Amino acid sequence: MTRSRSAGVGLIGPASVLILAGFLAPTVIMAMLSLRDYSGMHGIGTDWTLSNYIDVLGDWFYLEIILRTLALGLIVTLLCLVVGFPLALFILRVGSMMQTVAILLVTFPLLCNIVVRSFGWMVLLSPRGVINEALINAGLIAEPLALMYNLTGVIIGLVQIYLPFMVLLLVPALQNIPADVEAAALTLRSSRARVFFTITVPLASPGIITGSTLVFVLSISALVTPRMLGGPTYRVMATQIYDEFMTNLNWPSGAALAFVLTFIALALIWAANRVAAHLTRGISA
Amino acid sequence: MIARKPSWLLSLVAIAILIYMNAPTIVVVLASFSDTSYLTVPPQGWTLHWFEYVLGDSRYMKAIWTSLWLASGATFLSLILGTAASYALHHRLVPFRDLILSAVMAPLVFPAVVIGVALLQYVSLLGLRGQPFVLLLAHTLITLPYVVRSAMSSLTGINPQIEEAANVLGASGFTAFRLVTLPLLKPGLVAGAIFSFVTSLDNVPVTIFLLTPRQSTLPVKIFASVEHGVDPSIAAASTLLVAGTAVALVLAQKWVSFSRFF
Repeated sequence: MTRSRSAGVGLIGPASVLILAGFLAPTVIMAMLSLRDYSGMHGIGTDWTLSNYIDVLGDWFYLEIILRTLALGLIVTLLCLVVGFPLALFILRVGSMMQTVAILLVTFPLLCNIVVRSFGWMVLLSPRGVINEALINAGLIAEPLALMYNLTGVIIGLVQIYLPFMVLLLVPALQNIPADVEAAALTLRSSRARVFFTITVPLASPGIITGSTLVFVLSISALVTPRMLGGPTYRVMATQIYDEFMTNLNWPSGAALAFVLTFIALALIWAANRVAAHLTRGISA
Repeated sequence: MIARKPSWLLSLVAIAILIYMNAPTIVVVLASFSDTSYLTVPPQGWTLHWFEYVLGDSRYMKAIWTSLWLASGATFLSLILGTAASYALHHRLVPFRDLILSAVMAPLVFPAVVIGVALLQYVSLLGLRGQPFVLLLAHTLITLPYVVRSAMSSLTGINPQIEEAANVLGASGFTAFRLVTLPLLKPGLVAGAIFSFVTSLDNVPVTIFLLTPRQSTLPVKIFASVEHGVDPSIAAASTLLVAGTAVALVLAQKWVSFSRFF
C-alpha cells in the first residue's frame, strides 16, 4: 500500500503542482485583489473593502453590461436549441453515408478557430460585405443593413460558433429514447406534434439541459466574437473585464467583475448538473 | 427515437443550417485567393499573392512559429502529466480523488477570460510576464482537462486484470503499463492530443493577457489586425489556420472515430 501510495503521489504530483501554482494560486490572489480599494490617483490600495463588488453590482453602467450579457446568453441558447433540434433529427434519420458527411460538417466548424470564424462573419456581415453587396446588387435594398457592430452581428456569430456543441449533445440524447415509447403514443392516436412535445422533448431533457447550459456559459464568457462583431463600443462582461485590465488599468474592479462572471457560470453548471441528474433518475425509474 | 426517413422539409432545413455553420470558413478561404486589395467574395481573379505576403512577413512568421511550438509543447506536456494523473486517479492510488479530479478539470468550466486575467496579475506579481515558459504552462493548464477526460474514459474501458496478468508474468509496474495498458490507451490519447493541439492553437482569451507587445500568436495577431481594418492578408493567415485544422481533422479520422471527441 505504501509503495502504491508513493507511486500515486509521483504520478499525480506534476499535474497537481501545475494546477496549484498555475490555477488555484492565481485565482486566490485575484480574489484578494478584488477586495482591495482602488483610486485613480493612488492605484491599488492596501485596505480591505467590498466596494469593488458594490460598484459592479450597484452601478447602472456595470449592471447594464451584466444584464446585456445574460440576455445575450439566453437568446443565443434558445436559438441554438431551435436551430440545433432539426439538424440533430436530420442526422439521426438520414442514411449512414449522409450521416458521416453531416457530422463532419458539424465537427469541422467546431474545430475551426474562433477568430477565423468571427473574421468570416465580418467579411459576410460588414456594410460592404458579401451579404449586403448581394442584396444591393439584387435590388432588394438601397442602403446596407446594419448587420454588424450591434446585437444582431454578435448573435449571428455566437449561435454559429456554439451550435456544434448543442447538436453533438442533442444527437445522443435523442438517440437514447426507446423507439417503442413514441410508437406506443402514436398507436394511442397522439398526433406527431403531441408526441414530440409530450414524449420526445421530456425524455431528451437531460441532453437539452446539458447542451443549453454549455452554450449559455460559453456565450456569456465569450470575448473574441463580441469584440470582433460587436465592435469596441459593444460591451459584454468579458470585453469589459478585458478593458478594465488592459485599458482602464482598474484591476480590482476587473477582478470583481471576473468573479461575478465566474460565480454565475459555476452556479449555473452546478444547478444544471443537479437538475439533469434528477431528471435522469426520473426517466430511468 | 423512431427510425424514419427525414422529410423533404427537414432535409432542406438541415442543409441550410449546415451551410450557415460552414459559411464563414468558406468565405475566408475564398477571400484569401482574391487578387483585389480589398475583400471580394467570390474572388474576381485568383492569386497566391496574399499567402506570399503572409509567409514573407517576419511578424506573421514569428506568430505562426509561436503558435506551433506552443501547441506542440503544451500537447506534449499535457499528454505526459495528464496520462500519469489519470492513471493514478483511475486506480485510486491517491487520496482525495474526486477533489483532485475536479481541480484538474476546473480550467474547463472557468471562463477563459477569468483564467487569463488571473494569470496576468499573478505573472506580473512574480515579474514573469512575457517569459515563454509562462505561455507554455498556461497552455498546458487549459489543454490538460482534454487529455485527462479522454484518458479517464479510455482507462474505464480497459480490463485491470490484463495489467495484473502482465505483473504476474514478471513485468514490472512501468513495463506492464508501457507494453499492455499504453497501446490500449492510444486511441483515447490521440483524440485527447488532437483536441489539446486545436484548443491551444485556437486560444485567444488566455494568451492575449500573457503576451508582451512584441510577442504574438497567429490567432492573437489576426484578432489584433482586424481592429485596423480587414484585408486579404488576414484572410490568407486565417486560411493557413483552417488548413492546419483540416489536416488535424483528417488525421483524427484516420486514427480514431469521431465519437472519441465527445
